[in-house]
Amino acid sequence: MIIFILILTIIMAIFALQFKNLLNAVIVLAVFSLLLSLIFYLLHAPDVAIAEAAVGAGVATTLFVVVIGKTKRKENE
Amino acid sequence: MEKGERSEIVSIISRKLVPYILLFGLYLISYGHLSPGGGFQGGVVLGAGIILLCLSHGIFLTEKKFPLEKIAFLEAFMITIFILLGIVGLIIAKSFLGNIFPLKKIEEVPTAGFVFLLNLVIGLKVGAGIILIFYSLCERSEK
Repeated sequence: MIIFILILTIIMAIFALQFKNLLNAVIVLAVFSLLLSLIFYLLHAPDVAIAEAAVGAGVATTLFVVVIGKTKRKENE
Repeated sequence: MEKGERSEIVSIISRKLVPYILLFGLYLISYGHLSPGGGFQGGVVLGAGIILLCLSHGIFLTEKKFPLEKIAFLEAFMITIFILLGIVGLIIAKSFLGNIFPLKKIEEVPTAGFVFLLNLVIGLKVGAGIILIFYSLCERSEK
């Protein structure tokens, strides 16, 4: 079970690096964070899991999306 | 994304959801010494609730309700209270952050004495800090 989620996490990390569209990369990073918090929960660390889910999937994703909304693509200039 | 274009569904859902998110944050803070959670996690959840309010109702309405100056004051004031509590413990209980309240049975909420107060202070500070990060990130680009 944990091995499967770990492999899925690595796949999500590779996707986040490979995507050209930044918004897709941020969403995949949020999924990465959720899977990581699931791993923390399965490894009997619910405290860290709550922190990871709140910070990684909630606040950091929102801040990234706001920053991406403020920037422009290079091709559109 | 056009400015001023706002989804009805997101607005209504977040209006119903924000009080429960804030309540969950306060629960995480006040039961931090008994169950998973604590000051930092509860504070982050509080800040995320206010950020959700910003995203659904606009930054101007939210900043009218939670002004930037008050949030900045709260963020700086709470760490002062934390240090003062530590010094009170140093004077009375002879160690920094020492407990001065009597300890109760383990099932009750105010069982750990000082820990509840410290969790509350840290939670408010972390929540104010996260709202402050979001405010300054939104305001910088409008100039």
